[in-house]
Amino acid sequence: MPDADLIREVEQFLYREARLLDERRFREWLDLFTDDLRYFMVNRSNRYPPASKAIAVLDPSAAPDREDERAILDESKETLAARVARLDTGMAWAEDPPSRSRHLIANIEVEPGAAEGEVEACCNFIVYRSRGEREEDFYVGARRDLLRRVGGAWRIARRRLVLDQNVLSAKNVSVFF
Amino acid sequence: MQTDPHALVDAEHGLVSRRIFIEPEIYEAELARIFARCWLFLCHDSQVARPGDFFTTYMGEDPVLVVRDGGGAVHAFLNVCRHRGNRLCRADSGNAASFTCAYHGWTYGNDGRLVGVPYLKEAYRDGLDRAQWGLLPVAQLDQYKGLWFATFDPAAPPLAAYLGEMAWYLDNFIDRREGGIEIVAMHKWTMPCNWKFPAENFGGDAYHVPWSHLSAITTAFSTGVTARPEATGTMVSPGNGHVLICVGPEMVGEPPVGELQAYDRATRPEVAARLGPRFGLVNPIVGTMFPNFSLLRATSRTFRVWHPRGPGRTEVWSWVFIDKAAPPEVKEAIRLAGVRGFSPAGTFEQDDMDNWQECTETCRGVVARRMKLNTQMGLGRERFDPALGGWASDYRYSESNHRQFYRRWAELMAAAPDA
Repeated sequence: MPDADLIREVEQFLYREARLLDERRFREWLDLFTDDLRYFMVNRSNRYPPASKAIAVLDPSAAPDREDERAILDESKETLAARVARLDTGMAWAEDPPSRSRHLIANIEVEPGAAEGEVEACCNFIVYRSRGEREEDFYVGARRDLLRRVGGAWRIARRRLVLDQNVLSAKNVSVFF
Repeated sequence: MQTDPHALVDAEHGLVSRRIFIEPEIYEAELARIFARCWLFLCHDSQVARPGDFFTTYMGEDPVLVVRDGGGAVHAFLNVCRHRGNRLCRADSGNAASFTCAYHGWTYGNDGRLVGVPYLKEAYRDGLDRAQWGLLPVAQLDQYKGLWFATFDPAAPPLAAYLGEMAWYLDNFIDRREGGIEIVAMHKWTMPCNWKFPAENFGGDAYHVPWSHLSAITTAFSTGVTARPEATGTMVSPGNGHVLICVGPEMVGEPPVGELQAYDRATRPEVAARLGPRFGLVNPIVGTMFPNFSLLRATSRTFRVWHPRGPGRTEVWSWVFIDKAAPPEVKEAIRLAGVRGFSPAGTFEQDDMDNWQECTETCRGVVARRMKLNTQMGLGRERFDPALGGWASDYRYSESNHRQFYRRWAELMAAAPDA
C-alpha cells in the first residue's frame, strides 16, 4: 500500500480537480490530462445472473453483454478539448444557462500503478447538477483513474466512469466528470 | 376523447394546437389510437440472432418480449404474466429456453406456451387449461431487412403496405451494402418532452440545424451538411405520415472523420447500384417512420424509438449501426461518432433535448396552450413528385413534412379507437 503522504497527495489532487469543474475552470481542468488520454463512461445493463431461476438458459455463449456498446462518453484529449471549446461558442444551448455542478468524490483508494511514476485511484462519485429554475439531476457511480507523474505534477491518463443507472434519468450529460 | 382531432390540427393552414403535447386525455387516446394500431419498431434481427435470444422493449407503454424460439422462429409477446399481470422478464436481453414469473412461478417456453404452473394438479385440479394461458402475442409481427416491427391491431395493413414508398427510403439507411447492418452501440435515456417533438424534428426540421447545432458544427463534430450555404435538398413525405429530410444527391453527410469520409466515397458506386436511379435524385439523411421510429445518417448512423412515457416524458432507445460489410476501423469510427454526436452526451443531441423540454413545459399554462404552433414554412409550395414517390417541398427548408405528420396523426386520432 502506498504511504500516507502519497495517498494524501493524490486525494488533494482529485479534490482540486473536482473544484475546477464546479468553478467551470474547464481550460485549467483540461491541462490535468495527458495527451494520450482515454476518458470513458458507461451505464449498466440488466442481465440475469447465472444462478437466476427467472430463466432457464438455452445457450450460455449467446447474447454476450458488450460494455463498449453502452459507452456514453469515449473521448480523447482532442475531443474533450473540442467539447470545452463548444461551450465557448455562445451557442451550446444545453449549457446556456450553465449547469451548476457539485462534484462529490468519496471512498478514494490509491494503488500502485503498473509503471514507474503511475498510480491507480478508484473512488465513488455523486455529481449533482442544478440548472435554470428547478432542474436537478444526480449522476452517481464509480470511477477508476490512472494517474501519471509528469514533470513533478500528477496528470490523468485514463478515466473510466460507470454510472449506476440503466435508463439514464437525466435528459443529457452536458457536464464533465 | 371529447375533442375532434381535426380541430387540433389544421394542416391546410399550418396550425397545430399545443393541447396535443400536454393534455392527459389526448395522450391516453394516442396510446389506444396510434400506439396500439400502428406498426412499431422492436429491435434489430442481430439482437435476437440465435435460438433463445431475447430482447425486452415497449410498444407505447406496453412491455414487450421479443424472443427467438428453439426452432428459430421470432415471436413478440406482451411481457406480462397471464396470472396476476406481473412483468415476466426483467432483463434487457439474454438467452433463455424458458421464462419464469417471479411472483408464483408460472413458466413459459420461449415460444410463449405456458409449460409450468406450480401445484397445477393439487390446487387447480383440472380447472386450468394451460393451452389457453400462454403469453399474449402481438397481432402481427414482421421484419423489413432485419428490422423487426409489430402491431397490436389485427386489422392493420401488412408491414409492406404500411411502409409503401418508405421502404426505399429505409434502404438508404439499412441496405446500402450486401449483408445489411449491424449494431455497434445502444443508449437509453429520458427526456422531459412530448414524444412528438423529437419525431417531427427528425422527420422534417432541417431548419434548426444551422442555429441549434452550429456550436457542434464549428467545433468539428459534424460537417453540418444541411447548414452549408451551397446545400441543396428537399423534404419528402412518402405517405402514411412517414417523413424524411433529404439533401442533394451529391452531398456527403458523414462526420468529419477521415475513415468515414473515405468510406462514403469508396462505397458510393456499390450503394448507387443497390439503390437504383432514385439515388441520383435525392439523399435521405434523417427521417421518421410514423409514429415514433426515427433514423439518421448524418453525423452518426443511428435509429431510435421515442417511447411515450406520459404527455411530458419520452424515453429514447437509440441504436448506432453501420454496414455489416464495413471494415473494423469504420465500425469503430461510427461507434465513436455516435457517442460523440448523438447520445445523451452527444454534442448535437444534448442541445435538442433542452429545446424540446421547454417546448413541452410551456404548454402547461392555459393561455400559452391557446397559442397555435406555426408550421407554415413553404405552405402550398409542396407538390407530389412521382420520381420521389412522395410529396416534396420546393426548398431545402420547409415544414411540409410537419404538416404531413400531423395530418396523419389527426386522421388516426379521429378514427374510432376499435376500428
